Amino acid sequence: MKESDFKSADEKLNGLLREARPAPSLPPRFQENVWRRIESADQRNASTTNVAWLDLVTGWMFRPKLALVTAAVLVLAGIGFGWNSGEQIARQDAQARYVAAVAPNPLR
Amino acid sequence: MKRSAANLILALLAAGAVFAVSFVISQRVGAKRMASTADDLDWLRQEFRLSDAELARVRELHEGYLPKCAEMCKQIAAKKGELEAALTGVTNVNSDAEQKLAELASLRAQCQAQMLRHFVEVSQAMAPEQGRRYLAEMQRITLGFHEQIEQSMSPSADHNHGHH
Repeated sequence: MKESDFKSADEKLNGLLREARPAPSLPPRFQENVWRRIESADQRNASTTNVAWLDLVTGWMFRPKLALVTAAVLVLAGIGFGWNSGEQIARQDAQARYVAAVAPNPLR
Repeated sequence: MKRSAANLILALLAAGAVFAVSFVISQRVGAKRMASTADDLDWLRQEFRLSDAELARVRELHEGYLPKCAEMCKQIAAKKGELEAALTGVTNVNSDAEQKLAELASLRAQCQAQMLRHFVEVSQAMAPEQGRRYLAEMQRITLGFHEQIEQSMSPSADHNHGHH
């Protein structure tokens, strides 16, 4: 067979296939639905960005060096504030003891 | 997302727990260390930075004052007993009860005067600035209570007498 015979056979075949599968008409509100799907895909992308941000923060926080330094700072701050508070409590107790000795309740 | 948020919350909780535990332990140790002695004069020594000589003088005054104070308290307690007996079974304040009230007030006034004299003596055993501070503080603590009551009952106070 010649090449031109193949071409004309293809065209015929293509024409038959087009007739056998007619292009369906678009469903109602097709365009609107397409835009809606695009927007929801955008939102999914944005939430993925949030997740990435949170992951970044937690990953940064859980780095061993930083965690160790933070824990040390917290322990030192706790000891400092606690010691100060303990001293105040002890001072108040000592004052109350002295006042109770020199000025019993009937006099106050 | 949920896992990261949970990790973040856990990390914050752990940080809070670390701080709280160190705070509580340190507070207890600090308070125990400061209150290691049961000496009544510990507060004076620390708060008014008494030297050993000043503390010895203050201790002498303190130990001389305590028996007098105890004696006055005993007299006040006895007078209160007499007043209660005078008020038992009566429906109005009779002259006997009034006399006991006056005697009780007089005893309390004597006791307070003795206490204030003691504060003055102790303040004179300290450095002048510390002595002034001590006297002001002791007067505030021991007389302030009555002032609060009197102020709350004065006509200028917000609430009215007789409406309780």
